[in-house]
Amino acid sequence: MGKYEPLDLKAYEASGGLEGLKRALMMKPQEVIEQIKLSGLTGRGGAAFPTGLKWDSTAQEKETPKYFICNADEGELGTFKDKVLLDGDPWAVLEGIIIGAYAVGAQLAYIYIKGEYEDTVKLWEKLASEAQKAKLLGKDVLGSKFSLQLQVVKGRGLYIAGEEFALISSLETRRAMSRLKPPYPSQRGLFGNPTVVNNVETIANVPLILAKGAEEYRKLGVKGDPGTRLFSVSGDVKKAGVYEIELGSGTLRELIDEFGEGTAAGRHIKAVQPGGGTSALLAEDSLDCSLTAESIRSAGSSIGTAGVIVYEQGKSAVDIVKSLMDFYGLESCGRCAPCRIGVVRMKEIVERLSRGKGTTEDLEQLRQIGKACVVGSTCGMGQAFPLPVLSALELFPRDFEAGIAKVSV
Amino acid sequence: MKMFNMQTYQNLIDEYSPVTAENLFVLVGKLQDTFGYVPAGAVRDLAAKTGVAEARIYGAVTSYKDFKLRMEDKR
Repeated sequence: MGKYEPLDLKAYEASGGLEGLKRALMMKPQEVIEQIKLSGLTGRGGAAFPTGLKWDSTAQEKETPKYFICNADEGELGTFKDKVLLDGDPWAVLEGIIIGAYAVGAQLAYIYIKGEYEDTVKLWEKLASEAQKAKLLGKDVLGSKFSLQLQVVKGRGLYIAGEEFALISSLETRRAMSRLKPPYPSQRGLFGNPTVVNNVETIANVPLILAKGAEEYRKLGVKGDPGTRLFSVSGDVKKAGVYEIELGSGTLRELIDEFGEGTAAGRHIKAVQPGGGTSALLAEDSLDCSLTAESIRSAGSSIGTAGVIVYEQGKSAVDIVKSLMDFYGLESCGRCAPCRIGVVRMKEIVERLSRGKGTTEDLEQLRQIGKACVVGSTCGMGQAFPLPVLSALELFPRDFEAGIAKVSV
Repeated sequence: MKMFNMQTYQNLIDEYSPVTAENLFVLVGKLQDTFGYVPAGAVRDLAAKTGVAEARIYGAVTSYKDFKLRMEDKR
């Protein structure tokens, strides 16, 4: 990335691009899936589901047509890595889409790009027509018997549309709402047909795996969590940005200190969200966990979208979660009651606490509603948005107690 | 952004022909980007063309933040 003009296909090929696709087209689709399975690649969109399994179950389904969707509706707070790939290395993403569609037997692929990324949408519309000319899309891709169309779709400003079923609903020209699982998208997805929904970064890994082989790919990262990840570092750091880190090759603290160049005002860190706005807060003393999904989980949070948000000392935990709740409070799709009602109630309570007007029952209420949402919601949003609040209650109870009105109102 | 114009509308339809449920969302988006809103008449027309219920398209258009059913007031 950054070595050539993003739209320059020749330069991309000269630097080893399309190698993976050419190899894939010479294999049987099932062999491609085996390679991805062997590589141990997991989803980079937050849920970390094994990509090979997802492809396999889609390929196994009898129903046709099948669809392949690249989820570029990057809505998670503190996450901006996909934009870097979409703008900086679009051919690699496209190559991954073509390989994926070939592997599962889809003839129509979608890339659903966040609407706010207007220039990215334009770039991709251009890229799709260039790809058509270069025989990467359309009938008989690169002289093979495989045909593929790509639709570039602009998202329309809803956070929840990044959830896989909400995204599918959106492409069906419905309201963006999640659905009960199972059946999974791989069984009954877009228009009721088998569908793969993969994150941009996941897909960008695919050409590399095919070009170098799964064995080579596994040498990166750690066992059980191979490869690299793009960490979006933001919040109170000197140098926010996207950094590619080999999994397991450093700790969260090193990432913040070395790449983020420490906190913005030089104060101590108060808390960190390692996996985007819906991941649980980690206190300063648990930042020495290594950068793998497993060790961040044991530290008490999750790697999620790898959007690392840093908060400095001097901020109240109530204010931190208030800004998160202000966002999520507007974005529940309303499909299931715990999330629809819970998110608004939690938002109100946090707001009350931040004005110093909380009541003694508020903390317990927050905990109860939060837990109810985690267990009772259908999709990842409802299950995850209470986590920062619940963890903040655990780690910084004094901040919350400070929000309780001295004289009961 | 321009006013609704039948010719422009027809050109867009031609560009996305055949209009099916599979490219409907993209086309509705193009109408929004071209005219600044999704005209109710177009919703009806697209429903007839694709067999997708008018109510469903209407539901989608009214739920997304970036879709409008009428032109924004110029204040």
